[in-house]
Amino acid sequence: MTLKDIRPGEHCIIQNLHPNNLRKRLIDLGLTTGTGVLVKKMAPLGDPMEIVVRGYLLTLRKAEARSIEVEKSEVTR
Amino acid sequence: MGIKVALVGNPNSGKTTLFNGLTGSNQSVGNWPGVTVEKKTGKAILGESEAEIIDLPGLYSLSTLSLEEEVSATFVLQQKMDVIVNIVDASNLERNLFLTHQLLESGLPMVIALNCMDIVRKRMEDINIPKLAERLGVPVIPITASRKHGLLDLMRQVELIVGKLRPSMPRYSAALERAVDRLEPLLGSRFLAYRFFEDGKKGISAVHFDEPVLHALEAVMVEESRHFSVDADMVLPAERYDRILSICAEVLAKPVQAVDNVTDRIDQILTHKWFGLPIFGSVMFLVFYLAFGPLGTWITDGFVGLIDAFFGWIESGIVALGMAPWVSSLIVRGVFGGLAAVVGFLPQLAILFLFLALLEDSGYMARAAFIMDRAMRRFGLSGKSFIPMLLGFGCSVPAVTATRTLDRPEDRRITTMVIPFVSCGAKAPIYAVFAGALFASHSYLVVFSMYLLGIIVALLSAVLFKKTIMKGSSANYLMELPEYRMPTPKNVLLHTWERSKGFLVKAMTVLLGAFIVIWFLSYFGFVDGTFRLLENNEIEFSLLGYLGKFILPLFRPIGFSDWRPAVAILTGFVAKESVVGTLGILYGIQGDVVQNGSLLFSSIQTAFSPVQAYAFMAFALLGSPCIAALTAMSKELRSRKWFAFIVVYEMMVAYLVALLIFQLGSADTGSLLSAIVAGGAILIVFATVRRVLKRRGNTCGSCHGCAIEGSCASKPEEKSGKS
Repeated sequence: MTLKDIRPGEHCIIQNLHPNNLRKRLIDLGLTTGTGVLVKKMAPLGDPMEIVVRGYLLTLRKAEARSIEVEKSEVTR
Repeated sequence: MGIKVALVGNPNSGKTTLFNGLTGSNQSVGNWPGVTVEKKTGKAILGESEAEIIDLPGLYSLSTLSLEEEVSATFVLQQKMDVIVNIVDASNLERNLFLTHQLLESGLPMVIALNCMDIVRKRMEDINIPKLAERLGVPVIPITASRKHGLLDLMRQVELIVGKLRPSMPRYSAALERAVDRLEPLLGSRFLAYRFFEDGKKGISAVHFDEPVLHALEAVMVEESRHFSVDADMVLPAERYDRILSICAEVLAKPVQAVDNVTDRIDQILTHKWFGLPIFGSVMFLVFYLAFGPLGTWITDGFVGLIDAFFGWIESGIVALGMAPWVSSLIVRGVFGGLAAVVGFLPQLAILFLFLALLEDSGYMARAAFIMDRAMRRFGLSGKSFIPMLLGFGCSVPAVTATRTLDRPEDRRITTMVIPFVSCGAKAPIYAVFAGALFASHSYLVVFSMYLLGIIVALLSAVLFKKTIMKGSSANYLMELPEYRMPTPKNVLLHTWERSKGFLVKAMTVLLGAFIVIWFLSYFGFVDGTFRLLENNEIEFSLLGYLGKFILPLFRPIGFSDWRPAVAILTGFVAKESVVGTLGILYGIQGDVVQNGSLLFSSIQTAFSPVQAYAFMAFALLGSPCIAALTAMSKELRSRKWFAFIVVYEMMVAYLVALLIFQLGSADTGSLLSAIVAGGAILIVFATVRRVLKRRGNTCGSCHGCAIEGSCASKPEEKSGKS
């Protein structure tokens, strides 16, 4: 399952990041293995998506979300 | 020179505000919030001496993505400063401390300026500052940059630690430290060892090392990376975040019940699934309406009236002085006439700048990019390109300046290059006159088609640039949504003033020279064999008039049968408003044709056929922008090569489109053949465009090595192709 498949309002935990050209930046922004993420919403046109990670709001495209492997969880951290 | 103090921190953490506070507000900081494009320096008093304060572009990490970030990272890596002041946004402690850790690894003397404590308190949270300082091993000074609180304490602390060794460095897991221990002797610095461990060769590219050293380093990395369970590039970041989490758990006290979040509530409406887009549309419409609608026009008219009165007063003064006619003509028509044409834009620009500052300071601009990204991606741009392009409908000058909000140089360049195609406000009188004279009942449709043509050419050019000359540059999108903040009047006014001032200074310097050249070409010429100064209604004999007649053959294929429109196009170079004004002079109309276009109707009806008029409008729309816009573009492109390219490109596109319109339009319309050819051509263009567009859509750099390559739906046909 990837971050792209998580519906708004659901929590998940990052398992792995597949290579893409923003991988290092995503890691530096705090999306490391084991980090909890809350998917907040999709933009009005369906993409990008807004997530809460490490207490702040980050928006990213689904193309990048697709390369982030996650597992659903009940609550963040 | 005294002590060098570098301000380093995440984007939007308040570095520029702190820089202003430390160096005095008389420092010119005309940049947009969060987008310090170049490093800036200023002076501050430090004890009894002076310190040089360096404001570096904001960055999330020393592993950089953009050129601006590289400026900062290289600066840190080459250790060009004596002290680092790391600005940390206390309301976003976890992520901000990541960069802090990278900076701590440098071993340089460092102070943390903890900003935004007011937001922390509002959330009913608390930070144990002495504990934080103890855990990080560096002094932590709480400040409120916007109110200049704590700045004295900060400078006192800087003074204390200059030239002193830091007592402690962050330590990570045994396996990691062992690897760094092995890398350190090869690189001669523990900081570089950490950088190499994290980023490989790229991490130490700011310092030169010989091939054998690099090979030895890689060999060590291959051996050591076996000891870690996660990928090598995630080891150090993950350990930093682990350390940060343990620090946060100790120093950050959160309330048991989460306090109602204002940003959340605002976003529930502003980025709502259904309301988000209409609200965005309304906000944009409102900004436009205020700047270019009745209010803006009213202020502009008043302002222009004042300027005219002032210049009229000067003119009469000059006439009274009895100077040589060419001197008074130079001053009145060349200098002041040109300046009046440009400075007349100022009120509208100031209104636009004001609203931009409001949108940006409040945090809405980031939401606008979030909302529009999906639509802009079709054309290879990111959501952030939308605002500058929209501003282009008003005036290209502020629009081009607004491209600074884009974070990638490629996106900035492409957006700058396509903005002039978007029909600006000054071109509207041209359409009004021509459409009104020749298309009577359908005039609004014709005007609308012009705007549409501009948008289509702009977007297709963006796609074309991405596909050809800037191949491989995929517009990234990864953006933090900042907390909403109440914009402070002082900040908003400061930004508005800085940008307006920039425009005025340009008008007074670069443009002045151009006006004098154009004045010379317009008001001097040969009449009956003598070269002399011309009257207002003798432009036919001017050098510009000769130039118009000379280049007329070039314009014939696109429908110009008369030298007058050619001259009008040339004067449009000063300001697009001049096109209609010049036509008025050339056709010998008495009265203000810009205010009352119908005066020109009969002359245009005799001189132009509808097709000729349409081709003329298209050429005026797409051809070279006015000199003010060109100056702004050359400033933002920062490259003669690109500037020359885009001017040639724009002229060529304008010529081709006008040619197509005129040739197809004036072909025997009854002829079935031409209709088929035209239809076929349109279909081919449409199909090509569709294919180009369809291939976009994903932002992956390359499919090579991607784990989901097999199941990926948006994989391009050619496997190695970048999209």
